[in-house]
Amino acid sequence: MSAVMSGVMTSTVYVQLLDLACGALLATAVVIVWRRRLAAIIRTFAVQGAALAALAGVLAVHARDVRLGVIAAGVLALRAVVFPWLLGRALAASGPAPGERETRPLVNVTASLLAVAVLTLIAYAVSRPLTALAPSPAADAIPVGIAVTLAGFFVLVTRRRAVSQLAGFLLMDNGITATGLLTTASAGLLTEAGVSLDVLLAAVVLRALAGRMRDAFGDTDLDDLRELRD
Amino acid sequence: MTRLGIAGGIIQVVVITGGAPLLAGVMRQVRARLEGRAGPGIGQPWRDLRKLLRKEPVTPAGTSELFRIAPLVLLATTVTVAGVAPFVTDTSAVGPAADLFAVAALLAMGTATLALAAIDTGTAFGGMGASREMTIMALAEPTLLVAVFALSVRAGSTSLAAVVTATLRDPARVLSPAGLLAAAALALVTVAETGRLPVDNPATHLELTMVHEAMILEYAGPDLALVELASSMRLAVFLGVLATLFTPWGIATTAAPLALAAGTAAFAAKVGLLGAALAAGEVFMAKLRLFRVPELLAGSFLLALLAVTASYFLAV
Amino acid sequence: MNLTESALGLAVGVAALAALAVAALPGRWRPACAGAGTALAGAAGVAAGVAALTGRPFSLSLPGLLPLSGLEFGADRLSGFFIAVTGAVAVPAGVYATGYLRHSGTSRSACAFLPLFAASMLLVPAAAWAVTLLACWELMALTSLLQVLAEHRRRPEVAEAGRWYAVMTHLGFACILAALMLAGGGSLLAVRHLPAGLAGTVFVLALAGFGSKAGIVPLHAWLPRAHPEAPSHVSALMSAAMVNLGVYGIIRTGFGLLGGGARWWWLLVLALGAVSAVYGILQAAMSSDLKRLLGYSTTENMGLVLVGLGAAGLFAGTGHRVLAGLALTAALLHVAGHAAFKTLLFLSAGAVAQRAGTRDLDALGGLRGGMPATTAAFAWGALAASALPPGTAFVSEWLLLQALIHGLPGGGTAAAVVLPTAVAAVALTAGLSAATFVKAFGTGFLARPRSDGAARAAEAPGSMLAGMALAGAACAVLALVPGAVLPALARAAAMTAGPAVAGLVTLRLSGAAGELSPLLLALAVLAVTLVAAGWLRVLPGRRARRAARLWDCGAGPLTARMEYTATAFAEPLQRVFDDVLAPETGIDVTHLDEARYLVAAVEYRRRVPDRVERRLYQPALAAVRAWGEAGRRLAPGSVHRYLGYGFYAVVALLIVLTVTR
Repeated sequence: MSAVMSGVMTSTVYVQLLDLACGALLATAVVIVWRRRLAAIIRTFAVQGAALAALAGVLAVHARDVRLGVIAAGVLALRAVVFPWLLGRALAASGPAPGERETRPLVNVTASLLAVAVLTLIAYAVSRPLTALAPSPAADAIPVGIAVTLAGFFVLVTRRRAVSQLAGFLLMDNGITATGLLTTASAGLLTEAGVSLDVLLAAVVLRALAGRMRDAFGDTDLDDLRELRD
Repeated sequence: MTRLGIAGGIIQVVVITGGAPLLAGVMRQVRARLEGRAGPGIGQPWRDLRKLLRKEPVTPAGTSELFRIAPLVLLATTVTVAGVAPFVTDTSAVGPAADLFAVAALLAMGTATLALAAIDTGTAFGGMGASREMTIMALAEPTLLVAVFALSVRAGSTSLAAVVTATLRDPARVLSPAGLLAAAALALVTVAETGRLPVDNPATHLELTMVHEAMILEYAGPDLALVELASSMRLAVFLGVLATLFTPWGIATTAAPLALAAGTAAFAAKVGLLGAALAAGEVFMAKLRLFRVPELLAGSFLLALLAVTASYFLAV
Repeated sequence: MNLTESALGLAVGVAALAALAVAALPGRWRPACAGAGTALAGAAGVAAGVAALTGRPFSLSLPGLLPLSGLEFGADRLSGFFIAVTGAVAVPAGVYATGYLRHSGTSRSACAFLPLFAASMLLVPAAAWAVTLLACWELMALTSLLQVLAEHRRRPEVAEAGRWYAVMTHLGFACILAALMLAGGGSLLAVRHLPAGLAGTVFVLALAGFGSKAGIVPLHAWLPRAHPEAPSHVSALMSAAMVNLGVYGIIRTGFGLLGGGARWWWLLVLALGAVSAVYGILQAAMSSDLKRLLGYSTTENMGLVLVGLGAAGLFAGTGHRVLAGLALTAALLHVAGHAAFKTLLFLSAGAVAQRAGTRDLDALGGLRGGMPATTAAFAWGALAASALPPGTAFVSEWLLLQALIHGLPGGGTAAAVVLPTAVAAVALTAGLSAATFVKAFGTGFLARPRSDGAARAAEAPGSMLAGMALAGAACAVLALVPGAVLPALARAAAMTAGPAVAGLVTLRLSGAAGELSPLLLALAVLAVTLVAAGWLRVLPGRRARRAARLWDCGAGPLTARMEYTATAFAEPLQRVFDDVLAPETGIDVTHLDEARYLVAAVEYRRRVPDRVERRLYQPALAAVRAWGEAGRRLAPGSVHRYLGYGFYAVVALLIVLTVTR
C-alpha cells in the first residue's frame, strides 16, 4: 500500500516539477522578448539554461537514465554558465556601456509580446497531433518547447543588435533542445553534444564578428552592415 | 446568503475600512526605512484622514454634483467589493455579486466615476489624469479578464468563492505554471490599477508623471479624505483578491468565532505582507514613461494568455 | 387572424395612413403626424413581436400582391424578438421626432417616409419567403436612404454619405439575392440541406450581405458616414433597429435555413465579430464627432453580437447545445440592450446637435448647466454602453463571457485557441468602450463650454425628452431586471429545450455554474453610497460646505481653451494604437520674421482616417474607375458602332446556340 502511495506521490511530484520547469522556460522566454537591456537578457538567459537543465534532470530522475543526467549536467554547464558568459563577453566587447539596450527593434516591444502570444497559440495548435501520439505529461508539454523555439526565431528576425540576435538564436536552440527532451525523453547524447557544439561555434563566430564590427564601425547595428555593400 | 457569508462580509468591511489606511501606513513606513528615513509611523494615514475630515468641505467653482458624488461612488464600489468577496470566509455574503467579472467591473466603475469628476473640474490637470487613467484601465482589462479566464476555467465557474474553494481542495494547483503565470499577470494588473510604481507614482505631483494624483488635485477636506480612504481600500481589495485567489489558506470555513478570528488574522497578515513586499519592490524601481506602460501591460497580457495555454498542455 | 398578425397589420396600416396624411396635411401638422404614426406603428409592432415571441406564430399568404411569387409572411419566436426590438425603437424615435422635426424643417417626403421606414423594418423579420424578404429589404433600404438624405440641402456631407450608403446597401442586397437564389429561394423557415460547398458559398454571401447592413468590418464604411448625417431619430432607427436586421439575417440563414453548418463558418463569424468590436471601438475612441462616435460604437456592438453568434455556432457544432443557447441568448440580449442604449444616446446626441449647433466634442462642453435632462439621459446611455454595472451591456457581456469560459472544456483545439482570444477581444472592447464614453460624456457634457453654441444651449422640448425617457426606461429594465426578458430570449434562441438562463433577480445559468444579480449589485452600491453620505453628515465637527474658486495649482483664471479636449483625451490611446490606426498628424511652426528663434504660431493637425476604408475601398474604387475608363473606349459615341454591338451579339448568340445544341 505504502509503496503504491509513494509511487503515486512520486509521479505527482514528477509531473509538478516537470511542469514548473516548463513554466520557467516559457516565462524566461517571455522576459527575453520583453526586456531591452541586453545585460538583463543575458541574465535571464542563464536562468533559462538552468530551467532547461532542471527539465532534463527531472526527466533523468524519472526515467532513471544516467545518460540524461549527463545531458542535464552538460546543459547546465553550457547553457547556464558558458553561453551567458560568452554573451556577456560579447556585450562587454561591443560597447563601453554594459547596460546597453536594444534600442530600435524592427517590431516594437508591445507588438513583439502580442506576436509571441499568437505564436504560443500556434505552437499549441500545431503540436496537438504530436501530443496525441503518446499522451504523457512530458508529451503534453511539447508545445512549450515549440513556443520557445518560435519565440527565439521571432527575436532572431526582429532584433537589430548582434548580441540580442544571438540571444534569439540561443533561445531557439533552447526550445529545440526542450522539444527534443520532451518528445524522446532520451535524446542521444551525441546529438545533443553536436547541437551544442554548433551553437558554441556560432556563438564564437558571432562574437568575433561583433568584435570586428565594433572595431570597424564602433557599433553592432546589423543594418549598418548593408553599407558594406555600397 | 449564509450566516458564515454575512459574518465574513461584515468583518471584511470593518477590517478593510479600518485597516486600509494602516496598510498605506505600513507601505510608506517600509519604504521610508529602506530609504534610510525614520518614517512617520503606520498611523499617519489615519491621522491625515482625521485632519481632512475636520476641515471645511469646499466646492470649487464650475463643478457640478458629479464632482461631489464621485468620491462617494468610488468608496461605495470599493466597500461593496470588500463586502461581497470571500476574503475572510470561504462563502460570500452576496453570492450573485461575488463574481470575478462583476468585481472587476465594479472597481472599473469607481475608476470611471473619478475620471469623470476629474474632467468635470475643467482643469488641464484633471483632463490629463482622467485620460491617462482611462487609457491604463482600458489596456489592463484584457489581462485582468484573461487571467480570470485562466483561473475560472479550472474551477468551472467565475465565482470568487468557487475558485477559492477549488484551490483549497487542490492546493497543488497554485504551484502549477498556470497558477504562477496567472498570479504574475494579476500582480502586474494590480500594480497598474492601483497606481503603484512603475505605472504611477503615488507620491509625485509632477505633471509629467501624475496619473491618479492629477485627477484628485481639486479635492479638499472631507471629499479628499473619502478619495484617499477609497484609494487605500482599493489597494487593500486588490491585494486581498490576489492573496485570496492564490493563497486562500487560513480562510474561515465555519462560522465559529475562533475560525473567523483566524481568518481575519490570516487575511490581514497576507495583505500586509503583500503590501510590504510591493513597497519594498517600489524602492528599487523607477516610474516607467507613460508610453512604456503599454509594454508592461502587453507583457502581463502575454503572461495571462500563457497561463491559459499552460493550463491546457501542462497536466497539473 | 391571431394577435401577431392583426397587430402587424395594424402597424403597417397606421404607417401607411400616417404617410398619406403627412403628404396631404399642411407643414405645421406634418411633424406631429409623422412622429405619432411612427410611434403608433412601433407600439403595434411591439405588440406583434411580443405575441410572436411568447408563442403565437402566424403565417399569411398574399399571392396577388407581387407578380410571380406573391408575398408570404410568417413569424416564429426569433422573428418576434426582432419585430419587438424594432417596434420598441420606433416608439421613442417617433415621440422624439414630433419635437425634432418641428425645429429642423425637414421636407415633406422625408416626413412622409418616416413611418414607412419603421413599418418596412417591422416587415423584414416577418418575411417568410425569400422574395418577400428581398422586397421588404429593398423597401427598407429605399425608405432609409430617403431619410438619410433628409438634410442634404443644408449640408453637403449628407449627399456624400447618401451615395456611400446607396452603393453599399445595394451591393449588400446583391449578395443577399445571390445567397437566397443559390439556396433555392422559397421558404425561409424550413431547413435546407445543401451540399457542403454550396452551403458554404450561400453562407459567405449571406454573411457579406447581412453583415454589411450590420456594419461589420470591413463592410462598415457606410455606417459611420450615413448614421451621423441622418436626422437623429433616423440615426436611432438605423443604428438601433436596422443593424439588428443584419444580425437577424445571419441567424436566420446560418442556424435556420442552413441548419448549422461547418466549423469554419462560425470561426469566420467570430473572427469578424472580434475584429469589428475592437476596430469599431478604437475608431469611436478616436472620433471627436459625437454622432460618428456613436456610429462606430454600433459597429463595435454588432461585433460583440457576432462574437456571440460565432461562439453559439461553434458550440452547436460540437454538440454543446446548452452553451450554444447561452451564447445566442447573450447575443440577443446584447441586441436588445444595444437597441435601448443606442436609441437613448442618439436621441440625446441629436438634442445636443440641434441645441448647441454642433456635434464636435471639441467645441461642446458644459451642457450639464443648460441641458440637465439631456445630460442625465446621455449619462445613463453612456453607462449602459460601457459595460460597467449597472448597465445593460454589462449584463449581456457577462453572459457572453460565461458562455466563452464554459465552452472551453471539451471544445477541442479550435476552442482552446479561439476562446481565450475572444475573451481578450471582448475585454479590450469593454475597457476601450469605458474610456470612449468617459470621453464622450466628460468632454461633451461636463467641464466648461468650449464654444458659444454650447454655452447658450437650452434644454430640448418635452416631446424630445419624452422620447429619451422611454428609451431610458427600457435601458433600466434591461440593466436591472434582465431576468424579466431573458427566458423569452432564451426560447427565441431555440437551441435548447429549456432556457439557458433562469431567475428574475438573480440570473442563474442552467447547465453551468454561474450567477449574477445586477439588481443586488446596484442596490448594494446605492446603499453604501447613501450610508457614506449620511455618515459624512453626522460626522462630529462637521462644517458647512463652502464655494471657492478652482485651485488649479494656483494658476490664474481658467479659460475654456485650457481644458482637455476630446482629441487630447484620446491622444494616449492614439499613441498606443499608433500601428493600428495610422493617424495623420502634422505640425506647422511659423517663425517671426525678425528672429528665427521666436515662434509666431503653431498649427497642429490630426486626423485618424479609417484605415480599412483607405486600404480596401480606395484601391477598389480606383480599380472600378480604371475599368470604367477602359470601358469608355468601347463607347465612342457612334450610333453605328452601338448597333454593331447588338448585331454581333445576336450573331454570336445564335452561333453559340447552334454549337451547343
